[in-house]
Amino acid sequence: MKLRAENVHHNFGATAALAPTTLEVEDGEFASIVGPSGCGKSTLFNIISGLLLPTAGRVFLDEHDVTGKTGRVGYMLQKDLLLPWRTVTQNIVLGASLTGRVTRKDKEEAVALARRYGLGEFVDHYPHTLSGGMRQRVALMRTLAVHKDVMLLDEPFGALDSQTRLRMQQWLLDVWHDQQRTVVFITHDVDEAIFLSDRVHVMSARPGSFRASYDIDLPRPRSIELLTSDAFIEMKREILQLIYSETLKQLAQEGEAA
Amino acid sequence: MRRISQIVLPLALTAAVFGIWDLVVNVFTIQSYVLPRPYAVFAQIGTDWDVLQPAMWQTIEEFVVGFFVGVACGFVLAVVMGESRIIKRGLYPLLIATQAIPIIAIGAALVIWLGFGLTPKVVIVALIIFFPVVVNVLDGLANVDRDTLSLARAMGAGPVRIFLHIKLPATLTPLFSALKLAATFAVTGAVLGEWTASTNGGLGVYLLEQNSRLNTAGVFAAILLLSAIGIVGFLLIAGAEQLATPWRTRPTPRRLPFRRRTHVTRAAPSPQIKGESS
Repeated sequence: MKLRAENVHHNFGATAALAPTTLEVEDGEFASIVGPSGCGKSTLFNIISGLLLPTAGRVFLDEHDVTGKTGRVGYMLQKDLLLPWRTVTQNIVLGASLTGRVTRKDKEEAVALARRYGLGEFVDHYPHTLSGGMRQRVALMRTLAVHKDVMLLDEPFGALDSQTRLRMQQWLLDVWHDQQRTVVFITHDVDEAIFLSDRVHVMSARPGSFRASYDIDLPRPRSIELLTSDAFIEMKREILQLIYSETLKQLAQEGEAA
Repeated sequence: MRRISQIVLPLALTAAVFGIWDLVVNVFTIQSYVLPRPYAVFAQIGTDWDVLQPAMWQTIEEFVVGFFVGVACGFVLAVVMGESRIIKRGLYPLLIATQAIPIIAIGAALVIWLGFGLTPKVVIVALIIFFPVVVNVLDGLANVDRDTLSLARAMGAGPVRIFLHIKLPATLTPLFSALKLAATFAVTGAVLGEWTASTNGGLGVYLLEQNSRLNTAGVFAAILLLSAIGIVGFLLIAGAEQLATPWRTRPTPRRLPFRRRTHVTRAAPSPQIKGESS
């Protein structure tokens, strides 16, 4: 098991943000987490990345306890968070300059990444010259360049328009295929989760925990046609039904509380 | 074309102001002790240059030294306040108090403490300009995206690296906004300093002397040179800003001839700069 979050939960004061949750991800797996907004998906990521100490539970990476330790996984958010005063190359090597020295090798590797993934002409450009999709690609290269086996992607394409998003999803699959990393991907888009993943975990409403997990046995490499295939739609129906019943439960709870 | 209009337009407007000034004096036959004609002011600068030149250098010295002292104090204070909420809470009201006290009132005390030399003037200039620096740099530090800080911590960065690579560069843009304000305030500060704590030297002192003799041309000569100091200061800072924050106006960094590049890049590509290429 590459990554295991064991019964992690977190309370902010009296409110439970995340109910005890166990997540297991195999080496090289692409796992997605879908759930209603505010269910604690990002809290789970903050715990795995070491930014947040769980109220209880442990996080294991390659069977080592890394609870509360930062710098062990790559992390990417919906906002690209590129630093405006750094060029594309300098943004890609940010991890190195924050934790050590930026070597010539780091820079060469950053340029190679940018070239390989279609931004070769922009290596020396400032982020303000790039489109939203290009900026997100740079953000992913920055995440790749920290050389961590596990990458946490928190709704990375959430702010993009639907066409750019489709292209970015295919691009992400290419990158994942080349780079052989383990990916945990948060989204609220069920199509996106099924299209990308080996396994989809559905989270319940706040305080969140996993309600069900689905193995996605659709063949790879996957292309756009898959989105309208029967197998895909069957999978989607099943997951949506579960999410819908969760939403109803949440509404009922809120009704009782009121 | 834009460059030309940037230089020509202000010059033409300035010339127009002098033209109207001259016209008004002529048409309404205003006495020269009330408002001298522009050429009389320039003539005064010419004939009194031997006195004006050292006075100007003295004022410039007060301006420059006071400017750097004020900016340095303001910047350090802002950084300390930005890093510690307790210090910020304690100091902010005090800082506002320093701005509420009339500078003229402090001037008298400063003479008693520091004498008539350069020091009290530097203190006054610094007192006037450190405040906009503190306020702007604090804003810059407060506006750093919390998610950026989280990302840096998730990457394993410590507080020193986070400060150097993320917070410090974020203060540059607001810092330069403050410096441009400071450049103009600093001239006022230098003149106020000379008025409250000077017996000789400086354009402010020259201005008072000419005023007491009803030599209005002399007063305007001093005013002209004082505004020239402010304008040159502002332009120098605007130039420094262009060099220090190239990302605000340029697509790529300036190529420094003495710095070896680690890789070769093609010149700015296709006109469709925002197009997706995959």
